[in-house]
Amino acid sequence: MAVSRDEVFAKVRDVLSDALGVDQEEVSLEATLQGDLGAESIDFLDIVFRLEKAFSIKIPKGELFPDEMLNNPEYVEGDRITPAGLEKLKQALPHADLTKLEAKPFVSKMPDLFTVRTIINYVESKLAA
Amino acid sequence: MRWIWIDTFVDFVSGRRASALKNVTLAEEYLHDHMPGHPVFPPTLMLEGMAQTAGILVGEARGFAENVILAKIRRAEINDYAFPGDQIRYDAVLDSLDDRAGVTSGTMHKNGKVVGRADMIFSHVRPGESSELPPHNFVFTEQFMRLLAAFRPRAATGSTDAG
Amino acid sequence: MRFELIDRIVELASGERIVAVKAVSNAEEYLADHFAAFPVLPGVFMLETLVESGAWLVREAQDFANTVILLREAKNVVFKSFVRPGNLLRVEVACRRLAQGESDFEGVGYCNRDEVVKARFGLRHFCLADRDALLSSADSRLAAEARARLADLRRHPPAARE
Repeated sequence: MAVSRDEVFAKVRDVLSDALGVDQEEVSLEATLQGDLGAESIDFLDIVFRLEKAFSIKIPKGELFPDEMLNNPEYVEGDRITPAGLEKLKQALPHADLTKLEAKPFVSKMPDLFTVRTIINYVESKLAA
Repeated sequence: MRWIWIDTFVDFVSGRRASALKNVTLAEEYLHDHMPGHPVFPPTLMLEGMAQTAGILVGEARGFAENVILAKIRRAEINDYAFPGDQIRYDAVLDSLDDRAGVTSGTMHKNGKVVGRADMIFSHVRPGESSELPPHNFVFTEQFMRLLAAFRPRAATGSTDAG
Repeated sequence: MRFELIDRIVELASGERIVAVKAVSNAEEYLADHFAAFPVLPGVFMLETLVESGAWLVREAQDFANTVILLREAKNVVFKSFVRPGNLLRVEVACRRLAQGESDFEGVGYCNRDEVVKARFGLRHFCLADRDALLSSADSRLAAEARARLADLRRHPPAARE
C-alpha cells in the first residue's frame, strides 16, 4: 500500500509534535529538530521509537541519527568533522542535505542536518525498500 | 523518608513486564505535610513508584550491567489519587531495549481500578562512564535487589509465554 | 523529611509566571538512598519543584480559592543533568492556561544557568468542600496556612515560622 508524501509528513509531524511537545504549526519542513524544535539527545531516541511504531519500520541504531560517529577520531578532530567524516555522513545519511555542513564542517553544526525534511526523506526511503 | 517507593513485586517476567505494589500508610511522616489534615499520596511519588518498577524491569533485562537512570517521562496521566489505606499497583511493560536505553509503558491502579498511566525512557549509564560517576553500579542497591529476590523472576519463554 | 520542595519564590507575575528556588542539601535524608554512592536530587523531585511552583501561581491567582492542587498530567519531561547537594535548583514556570479547576504549564529548571530539567505539566484544583460540604472549615484552615506560607516564601530572607 503506497503512502503519499503528504501522509508521511502528517504522521511525522504528529510524531515530532508528541515527542517534543511542540505545536504542529512549528513542525515545518526546514525546521531543525535541535535548534528550532528544542530536541534533547534523549528525544532523538524517543523519535526513533515513535517512528518505528507509526510506520511499522525498523530503524537500526545509527541509521537515522549517526551518534556513534562523534566518538571516532577518523571522523571528528576536535571541533571539526574531517573529510573522511563528511564522506561517511554522505554514505550514512543519503536522506540528509549536507551542503551547509560541507561549507562549515563543525561538529556543532551537525545537529542542523536533522530537519523535518530529513526525517521524511528517511521514512520514505524505508517505506520504498 | 527512605527512597523506596514500591513494597513488593507481584509479577515479574524477565524482559517483558513487572508489577509492584505500594501501600500508602499514615505512618509515612511526609503525608502529614501533604496535606495537613488531608493526607494525599503525592502524585509525583506515584511516578517514582512506576519508575522504580519499570527501572528494575529494564535493569534486570540486562543483568544490572549498567546504571538505569530515568531520562524522560514521555507522558503521564493521573486521574485519581491515593490515600492512607489504599494499595497502588504499578504495571510496567518493556517496549524497547538496547544498549543505550529502555522504553517502558505502564498503568497505575488503585485498589484494582486504573487511575493513571506513565510512559518512560531510561538511559543506560555504564559504571565509571565519566569521572563524575562512581566506578560501580550505584543505582541497584541492596534494598531493590532484595525486593526482586523475594519474587523470583521467571525467564521469558518466547512464543509459549502467553504474556 | 518535610514534603515541601520550594524554599523561596523570587518572582511571581500573577497568573503568568513564577520563578522559585529549591536548595539541595546532604541533610535531606532520602539522599542516603538516592544514591548512597552518588547523592542527587531525584528526577521526580525536580518535577515536584516545577509542580509546586505552578501550584503557588494558581493559589495566588485564585486568591487561595482552591485548597487542593495536584498533578494531573506530565509530558515531555526531560531530565538533562544531575542536581547535587550544595546546588540550587532555580525553576522558571510559565502558565499556558488557567481555568477554575485546571491549569497547564511549561517549566524549565536551571542549575548555575545550565538547563537540568524541562517539562510540560497540568494541574487539577478543587476544594475539600467540593467533595464533602462538611469539610469547608478544613478548607478555611488550609487556605489560611497557604496564604501565610506564600508570604513567607516571597519574603527575603525567609522569616522564622512560629
